[in-house]
Amino acid sequence: MVQDLKTDVLVIGAGPAGSMTAKWAAKAGARVLMIEKRQEIGSPVRCGEGMSKDWLNEVGIAPSTRWINVEVEGARIFSPSEKVLEINERHAGNEVGYVVERDAFDKQLAIDAGNAGAEILLKTAATGVIKEGGKVVGVRAKQFGEPFEIRAPVTIGADGFESQVGRWAGIPTNLALRDMDSCLQYRMTNVDCDVRYCDFYLGKVAPGGYVWIFPKADGLANVGIGVQLSQIKGMAEARQYLDAWIAKHPAYSKGKKIDVVGGGVSISPPLKQTVTDGLMLVGDAARMIDPLTGGGIANGCIAGKICGDVAARAAAAGTPSKEFFQQYEKGWRVRLEEKLYRNWLAKEKLCSLSDETFDKVVDALQGVKLEKLTVHNILKAVRDKYPEITKEFEAFI
Amino acid sequence: MPNKKSLHIESSGQLCVYCGACVGVCPLNCIYLDETRITFDERICTRCEICVKACPVGAIEIG
Ligand SMILES: Cc1cc2nc3c(=O)[nH]c(=O)nc-3n(C[C@H](O)[C@H](O)[C@H](O)COP(=O)(O)OP(=O)(O)OC[C@H]3O[C@@H](n4cnc5c(N)ncnc54)[C@H](O)[C@@H]3O)c2cc1C
Ligand code: SF4
Ligand code: SF4
Repeated sequence: MVQDLKTDVLVIGAGPAGSMTAKWAAKAGARVLMIEKRQEIGSPVRCGEGMSKDWLNEVGIAPSTRWINVEVEGARIFSPSEKVLEINERHAGNEVGYVVERDAFDKQLAIDAGNAGAEILLKTAATGVIKEGGKVVGVRAKQFGEPFEIRAPVTIGADGFESQVGRWAGIPTNLALRDMDSCLQYRMTNVDCDVRYCDFYLGKVAPGGYVWIFPKADGLANVGIGVQLSQIKGMAEARQYLDAWIAKHPAYSKGKKIDVVGGGVSISPPLKQTVTDGLMLVGDAARMIDPLTGGGIANGCIAGKICGDVAARAAAAGTPSKEFFQQYEKGWRVRLEEKLYRNWLAKEKLCSLSDETFDKVVDALQGVKLEKLTVHNILKAVRDKYPEITKEFEAFI
Repeated sequence: MPNKKSLHIESSGQLCVYCGACVGVCPLNCIYLDETRITFDERICTRCEICVKACPVGAIEIG
């Protein structure tokens, strides 16, 4: 028999968002329990492992060679006819930075949470929420298959893309077909990747998404794809598009696959609601992935810090109400919402550009010394070289 | 439900990579993934086929 448990703050899921929340709630003095259904935190990896780095300091993560594979200088965007637009770190506003070892990274964040005082239970899955008087007061769970209950005034759903906790509690997190990408990735060795860049291939090679090459070392890279669900017609299209792309690129078709990773990525506008009485959602569970880049690690961690702090204060004050949780709802929105919304709009428009227009835009930017990739500079370059597409492109911007 | 098509998730490991994409998209929340075990609630499923599209490797078939 597993005993029923009680805690102040209960975190479901030990990914980056969960561990960050647990750490900051524990640091603020709350009794914290984080449960994870897997037997090993961070494994198997479901990630391309690329991340920016300017936010790490803000959330108290110290960069470490234990989880950093390479530090890249920039990103290269390949248009449909493979004209290249190079964006260095300064242009990209730090969108690129490290390629990491996600399992080691996730474990480090869990270690930080544990060291801050959070309890952690593995092989422990939430199977439903417990509601009393319309409030979430904990979860039903299973540990090594045995059912038990965990009660807490504050429950946090950090259960990732699968995100059932929110739906069990009645928060609508369903995604429209166009707001989700189906993803597949191989880790490949014996490839000709360039460790200075994260590469992105856009256009019909990956409808509504892109192919990515994130280098992990000389000759070793994550080669993956995301395709928008609304553009998929049959089965296994992510795999078919990725295999077709690899077959056309000798630098990668000679490679050997050593790992396969699948997954879903939300590319939606921000959710309208991420809290209810007794419950807050954070990270992928709250659909906080950047809809343009598909990156979710940074946003999950940034929101996690805010969430942990509010959770601890709500538990201490005995006020785990949705009114109190507005501090989190507002806090993460102030920090992230505008960019999420802007990037969602940009993604929507990017998906609507024809391959021809996209080629011309990237071509127009070739050799143009762009001190900064401002809207004005890009528009001017396009207008000078391809006046005929200026109109379509202006509408885009 | 006599007229329902059958939905099969090939979750023995031959196709499925246990990525949870189907779990996250199912509008009725009727798929559950635990490490390498998938549970699927036949009674709730409306055969909307969203999970079929979401599965990156083609492990879900409706026939
Ligand atoms: C193929 C792919 C490539 C990606 N590439 C990148 C990238 O390059 N850069 C980037 O920034 N982001 C990337 N992402 C997105 C990134 O992986 C996520 O945004 C990130 O993992 C979100 O962290 P999280 O803590 O919210 O959720 P997760 O990391 O998914 O963690 C959720 C945890 O909750 C656990 N859990 C779920 N349900 C339960 C339950 N009922 N009970 C207990 N535990 C539960 C899970 O086992 C998991 O450990 C990618 C995603 C995919 C699928
Ligand atoms: S067919 Fe639709 S309802 Fe049935 S499991 Fe798939 S997504 Fe869910
Ligand atoms: S989406 Fe496909 S590969 Fe992923 S867990 Fe579901 S059935 Fe398995």
